[in-house]
Amino acid sequence: MLTKKTRNIIRISSTYLIVVIAFIFFISPMLWIIYSSVRGTEAIFSGKLTTPLKNFTLESYKTILMVTDFPQYFVNSFRIALLVTILTLFFSIFGAYGLSRFRVRGKNVYIMGIFSTQMFPVILIIIPIYNIIFGLGLLDKTVGVVLGQIILALPFSLWMLKGYFDNLPVDIEDSARIDGCNLFQTIYKILLPISAPGILVVAFFSFVVSWGDYLIVSIIAQSQRTATLPLVLQRLGSALTMRWDQVAAATVLTIVPTIILFSFVQKWLVEGLTAGAVKA
Amino acid sequence: MKLIIKRKNVGFTLILPTLIIMALFTVFPLFEGIRISFTDKHLLKEIINFVGLKNYKGLLSDEVFWISLYHSLILTTAVVVFQLVFGLILALALKQELPGIKFFRSIVMASWVIPVVATVVMFQFMAQPDYGYINIFFRLIGLKKLNTYWFGNKHIALPFIILLHLWRNIPFYAVAFLAAMQAIPKSYYEAAEIDGAGPWKIFFNITLPGIRSMVIVMVTIHVLWTFNNFDFVFLATGGGPVNATDILPVYVYRQCWRSYTMGYGASIGTIMLIILMMYFMVYIRIYEKSER
Repeated sequence: MLTKKTRNIIRISSTYLIVVIAFIFFISPMLWIIYSSVRGTEAIFSGKLTTPLKNFTLESYKTILMVTDFPQYFVNSFRIALLVTILTLFFSIFGAYGLSRFRVRGKNVYIMGIFSTQMFPVILIIIPIYNIIFGLGLLDKTVGVVLGQIILALPFSLWMLKGYFDNLPVDIEDSARIDGCNLFQTIYKILLPISAPGILVVAFFSFVVSWGDYLIVSIIAQSQRTATLPLVLQRLGSALTMRWDQVAAATVLTIVPTIILFSFVQKWLVEGLTAGAVKA
Repeated sequence: MKLIIKRKNVGFTLILPTLIIMALFTVFPLFEGIRISFTDKHLLKEIINFVGLKNYKGLLSDEVFWISLYHSLILTTAVVVFQLVFGLILALALKQELPGIKFFRSIVMASWVIPVVATVVMFQFMAQPDYGYINIFFRLIGLKKLNTYWFGNKHIALPFIILLHLWRNIPFYAVAFLAAMQAIPKSYYEAAEIDGAGPWKIFFNITLPGIRSMVIVMVTIHVLWTFNNFDFVFLATGGGPVNATDILPVYVYRQCWRSYTMGYGASIGTIMLIILMMYFMVYIRIYEKSER
């Protein structure tokens, strides 16, 4: 039988062992790519870990931002992700509110149906979606890409948000309604403020889904007008003449917006993402 | 009575926009995709003929299809099992109230939020022979003979792609499990300690049952997401070297958008759907049991 003290020592040391391994595995690759983006090509190919401080350079960022058309794709990515986020929010807030607060005939069928779309192979439904987008004349148009990406983000967003709304008390809304607020006033004045964390997480989720999407963009975007960062990064990463310093810089620039947004929503992220799974 | 009817309509009106979008861009394409699987649709040809089960018969003798199916099943199983186990271990570590843990909790999910393509490029860079991070690391600990391009070896490539999945998702599992663990009432643990239960007993009798529904949801969703995942393999290896990492979604993509044989590609996609539907039925069985 172990004493309480030895048990505690085992607990503390194993905890830190796991955390250190986790840090090396999950975090250090990101630090390595940032480091590689500023240490210059020569240092990268030297195969050494360290670089003298005076050799650090922002040359790679300068090239990526001034010489290549990377900024154009950055703007494309941002425009598309913003539209996907706004539209997903619009659909999922109303949809989740309807499912959470009202009696709807066949409600469970809708909920199960929306959840089960997660099992539809995107790779299969993208074939007809290509035809639809083509038929609407939206190939290589921002709207076409946005429409394609919404279906990636919407079902899960709706499911999350419905769970989130379910866990909120209804009394305030009821009293607002008794005070004469109509539906939109109730949503705008009561629901949005008290569910802000959940809504922020959904916004974040749809932004990240769009920002990181490769499949839909690779099929619907065909030129500089709508191509986004994942396409460019993939092209850079498989170029024949390897400029790893520039690839690293482009990778960092692609990652940074998601990390910045992540730092804002981090506190609520898990609660929001798993709201559909937890019943209070 | 009138009020109830009116409120019924309001609820339906609110979900209608979503239903329309889903119907047009998810449900209709699904049935259309299944229909295409019975045709010889080709991206560059105008005429489409109904060919019955010809595509499906073709699959039976298509070696790449069977390899891809095998890899898809192996990959999905391995990824979800490892994520579950390591996610639980990491969650238990993150649960400890010790200095520094809170900070680590707040950054650990970073790998989940960055684009998959960035992850792939990062690991391709790290997997380079001689100057890649991984090979530098192995050299430092005296394993110089392991120096290789990790995506280029047909025996290592698939495990390496599994590793990429783990890199992205384990933190999400851990943080989700942690949230569920924190919702378990403290009094359960106190009572168990008074009874003299050891850490293993507490874990299996209190912690694990307490996070059961979260485990089910995480596993279910990740089975679907992993099986359908396309970008990791496509971006990292494209299915190579020599089909060593081919999985069904990547094979569908190549059939549709490289060979333009969409009918054939759609038939593979339909097989994927059937596999996932079978899985989903099992899930619903389990879910309904746990609800009761």
